[in-house]
Amino acid sequence: MYGKGLRALSIATVAAMALALSLVFFYAPLDAEQGFLQKIFYLHVPLAIVALCGFVLGALLAIAHLRTRDPRWDMRSYVAIHMSLIFGVGALITGSIWAKGSWGHWWVWSEPTLVSFLIVFLLYATYQPLRFAIEDPERQARYASVFAITAGAFVPLNFMAVRLASAYVHPRVLGSTSNLPGPMALTFLVSLAAMALLYATLCKFELTAKHTRAQLRALRRRLLGEIPDTQARRPRSAAPTLQPGATVGTQAASRTAL
Amino acid sequence: MTAAIVLGDVPALPLHEAGKYVAAAYIVLFALMLVYLSIMAIRMSRIERELGELLEGTQRAAEQPPGAPEPDVQRESTLA
Repeated sequence: MYGKGLRALSIATVAAMALALSLVFFYAPLDAEQGFLQKIFYLHVPLAIVALCGFVLGALLAIAHLRTRDPRWDMRSYVAIHMSLIFGVGALITGSIWAKGSWGHWWVWSEPTLVSFLIVFLLYATYQPLRFAIEDPERQARYASVFAITAGAFVPLNFMAVRLASAYVHPRVLGSTSNLPGPMALTFLVSLAAMALLYATLCKFELTAKHTRAQLRALRRRLLGEIPDTQARRPRSAAPTLQPGATVGTQAASRTAL
Repeated sequence: MTAAIVLGDVPALPLHEAGKYVAAAYIVLFALMLVYLSIMAIRMSRIERELGELLEGTQRAAEQPPGAPEPDVQRESTLA
């Protein structure tokens, strides 16, 4: 079910990434102030934007989980946050490299955008340990959803607070203060779209893998008569486990195999 | 040192200087993707191995004559 459209999405991602890289290195003009170093902008900013949007997406999916109590929404929320953390690591590392080349320092503590992103990242870094600390799967999913919603609400608030800060030195890309020339703006938008597609593809890939694993476990139980997850002592894990009832097609697959 | 001083009129790095930073940033992205895909590949191979075990178990069960006692597939799988 989750794997449907994965192939088309993967092809679109590869094409978009290739187009974005071509535009970055062969079309976008060199920046007057930063020169070639500014090419990092087309990687770092989309990574940061997609990571923050992914955190908000995780919160929205967590709301759906609390409303429906369907574990599949918890799984989606978990994957969205998990992937955003990976993108966040990328944004932090590429940002540091850019800062070193541009400012001569790996990190500038007085820069509100950098510090606020780090705070958001560290906040979400506690998501996995929180899940791992709770053994009961239902309680784990519920608490994780509450965390995801609370932290998700913090992301746009944090973003607005930083933009309202008067003494900032971080360049502004989006909004009325942006002065990106046309070719640079186009390259940036294509890079952003490519990064968003990469995020979507990796999320879908991860969901497909988890769903396949759940189906395989259900099949193994049917064929080998193993104890169901609900009765067996489940090894402690931060990742949510799809229950047999939640994995659509599991029962049918087992019947077919038998 | 304040950020304003840090940013004050920093001249653009020459291409040979900036190139290594740009390359490092893009390599970071590809390294992250590579690590992620390697982890996913390990998971996929585990799924493939488990599927193979299941298939082997069912094939062995199917090859048994109707009157013969059923093999202990679960035990064999555990031992394997």
